[in-house]
Amino acid sequence: MNLIAASNLPMVVSPVLILVLAIVAGIGTLMLLPSRREAATRAIGGVVVLTGLLILAATLVRYVASQSESMGVYFWIFAAIAIISALRVATHRRPVYSALYFMLATFASAGLFVLLWADFMAAALLLIYGGAILVTYVFVIMLAAQAGGRGELTEADTVAREPLAAVSLGFGMMALLLIVIFDKGQVIVASSPIMPEGDTSVRALAKYLFANQLVNLELSGLILTLAMVGAIVISRRRVPSEIGVVASPFIGDDNPHDIAVTGTTDPRQKAYPET
Amino acid sequence: MTDLALQHYLAVGAILFAIGLMGFVTRRNLIIMFLCTELMFQGIAVTLIAFGRYHFATRPEAFFASQAFVLFVLVIAAAEAALALGLIVLLFRRKQTLDAEAWHELNG
Repeated sequence: MNLIAASNLPMVVSPVLILVLAIVAGIGTLMLLPSRREAATRAIGGVVVLTGLLILAATLVRYVASQSESMGVYFWIFAAIAIISALRVATHRRPVYSALYFMLATFASAGLFVLLWADFMAAALLLIYGGAILVTYVFVIMLAAQAGGRGELTEADTVAREPLAAVSLGFGMMALLLIVIFDKGQVIVASSPIMPEGDTSVRALAKYLFANQLVNLELSGLILTLAMVGAIVISRRRVPSEIGVVASPFIGDDNPHDIAVTGTTDPRQKAYPET
Repeated sequence: MTDLALQHYLAVGAILFAIGLMGFVTRRNLIIMFLCTELMFQGIAVTLIAFGRYHFATRPEAFFASQAFVLFVLVIAAAEAALALGLIVLLFRRKQTLDAEAWHELNG
C-alpha cells in the first residue's frame, strides 16, 4: 500500500537539473580550488558554488512544501553548514583552516544525527572527531609549520593537482549518486513516522550492541589498541637524515645494542650483557 | 506523513562523500588529503544513520544496526587517523615537506 503510493509521487528533482547543477557547482569549485589565480576569481567561484547549492535547496524545499506543512528548518541549516564547510575543507589553502572547517562539518553532521534520533552517535562523533582526531591533526599541522614553514604557504598548498580531472570525477560522482537517490529512493519515502515509537535510548543501543555485536565490539577495542601500538612504532623510527643529529640515545631503532652505555670506560661493561 | 524524506539525508551524505573524493584526488598536502578521507567517512555515516532511522517503523533493529555500523566506522576512522598521522610525521621527517608529490618515485 505504502509502496504503491510512494512510487506514484512526482519525481523530486529531474536528472537534467541535477546534471546542470553539478556542472555549475563543478565549475565554481574549479575556480575555488587553490591555484595561481587571482583572489577575485576564487571569490567568483565561491559565489557560483553557492548559487548552485541554493537552486538545489530551493527545488527540494518546494518539493517538501508541497508534501507537508513543516519545513524541517534545522535540517536545512545543518545541511548547509555541513556542505559549505566541507567545500572549504577541500579548497582552503591553509591546512589549519581546513582542519577547523572540518570541525565545523563534524558539528553539523552531529546536528543531523540528533535530528535522526541518534543522539549517542552525535555525542560519539563530537568526542572522537572534534575531540581526539582533530586535536591530533592540528598538532601535526603545527609541528610541520614550525619545522618548515615560517608561516608561508608552500607550493603544495597553493596549487592543486589536476583540478579539472578531480572536479569532473567528484562532481560526476555527485551527480550520479543524486540522480540515483532521487530517482530510485522514492520507494522508501513513506516508511517513516515523525517520531519513532519505541525505545531509542542509549540503553537500548547498548543492549543491542552487547547482545548482537559482542565479538565485533571486542574486536574494535583490539583494533584501537593495535593502531596505538602501530602508530608509536611507526613514528619513533629513526630516519637516515637524523642519524647522528639526535642527541638522545633513546630515540632510535629498537635494537638494544644501539643504546649507548654511559658512566663507565670499561669496554666489558659497555658491551651489552648478552654478547 | 513525514516532513523530510530519506532522500534529503542521503543527498547530504552523497554530497559530503563526493566533495571528500574530489579533495582527496586534487589536494597535494598529505594532511588535507586525510582530512578529505574523514569527510568521506562522515558522508557514509550520515547515510547509514538516515537509513536506520527511516526503517525504524518497519524494522526497529535496523535503527540500532545502523548505529553499530557507524560506531565501527568511527573506530576504524580513529585507528586510520592514528596510523596515517604517524606515517605523515615519519614522511615529514624524511623530506621536510608535506607535499605528496615529493614521493612520486613511489609510483614505480
